[in-house]
Amino acid sequence: MGMTLGSHLTPLARSHIEQADVVFAGLSDGIVEMWLQRMHPDVRSLQPYYREGKSRLKTYRQWVDLMMAEVRAGKRVCGVFYGHPGVFAWSPHKVIEVARAEGYEAHMEPGVSAEDCLYADLGIDPGRFGCQHFEASQLLFYERRLDPSAYLVLWQVALVGDRSLARFATGAPYRQVLLDLLSRDYPAEHEIILYRAATLPIERPRVRRIALRDLPHVPLTAEDTVVLPPAVALRPNEAIRARLEALDKLEKTGTVV
Amino acid sequence: MQDTIDLLEAIGRDASLRHASADELSRVLEQAQASPALTAAATSGDRAPLSVELGAKPNQAPQITQAPGHEDDEEQEEQEEQSSASARRSD
Repeated sequence: MGMTLGSHLTPLARSHIEQADVVFAGLSDGIVEMWLQRMHPDVRSLQPYYREGKSRLKTYRQWVDLMMAEVRAGKRVCGVFYGHPGVFAWSPHKVIEVARAEGYEAHMEPGVSAEDCLYADLGIDPGRFGCQHFEASQLLFYERRLDPSAYLVLWQVALVGDRSLARFATGAPYRQVLLDLLSRDYPAEHEIILYRAATLPIERPRVRRIALRDLPHVPLTAEDTVVLPPAVALRPNEAIRARLEALDKLEKTGTVV
Repeated sequence: MQDTIDLLEAIGRDASLRHASADELSRVLEQAQASPALTAAATSGDRAPLSVELGAKPNQAPQITQAPGHEDDEEQEEQEEQSSASARRSD
């Protein structure tokens, strides 16, 4: 569906929606969902399956079951998800895997993701310094290596550290744990960006710049993404450069095979 | 009065409107006989009046989890899926 109503839906994705027998909607914006309902007479929202206190893993499995029940009934099913259906989304990948395992044809159409909007709205080119992306809780739950010479993009920071899978927000003490972890590689005064893409075409992207140290105390929603620009310069790898230089010399003399 | 969702779609797909200033957009919407809620939302950049007009409730956004301690659930789920798929194939 892309991120912004009217702007991002591809002609092919729209055609899939219109040609489906049944459409399931996993969208982050209720008004965008109303727009989708104009495109098909049988749009079924996946929103009612969320519930505070219920494991989201269970919710996502229910979504897969709902879609597969219609596939098994012989229907042409289209799952419509906000952004890119395969980016930071479990059930679209899972339902395709399950459908194929049962012998049905299934595939994913790419969409304009929040990540794509972020690059455009913040003027960031991930190719310039490199760019690491993590779901914020993964950074806490597992040993990961951060590279502060690259961009670091953290998703779902508002929920960081939620081990229950049943909350839609944690809070300042949980974000303090994240801050402590990030402080190993980034100075407290490092300017970071809080970003949210526009979902309605009358909105502007929301961009806030704060010091890293303030991260635990700013209002955040699940749609907000945290961007840490590089904190240190790229360091030349002298050993590899020397090796490449030696190869270049060999190539000039015609001795490289 | 023109339909609000149709007007939102028209703004979203029009290069001259998508990044128009609030004043310009407000003028266009008044000419198009948009609802007062849409005009107010476009002018302020605040969607609240639109949500009231359309009766839209906030949606939840997360669609992925990190699940330490839930890995066993995942394996169990996959085993159940495999056995039910096998059962279906042998029907």
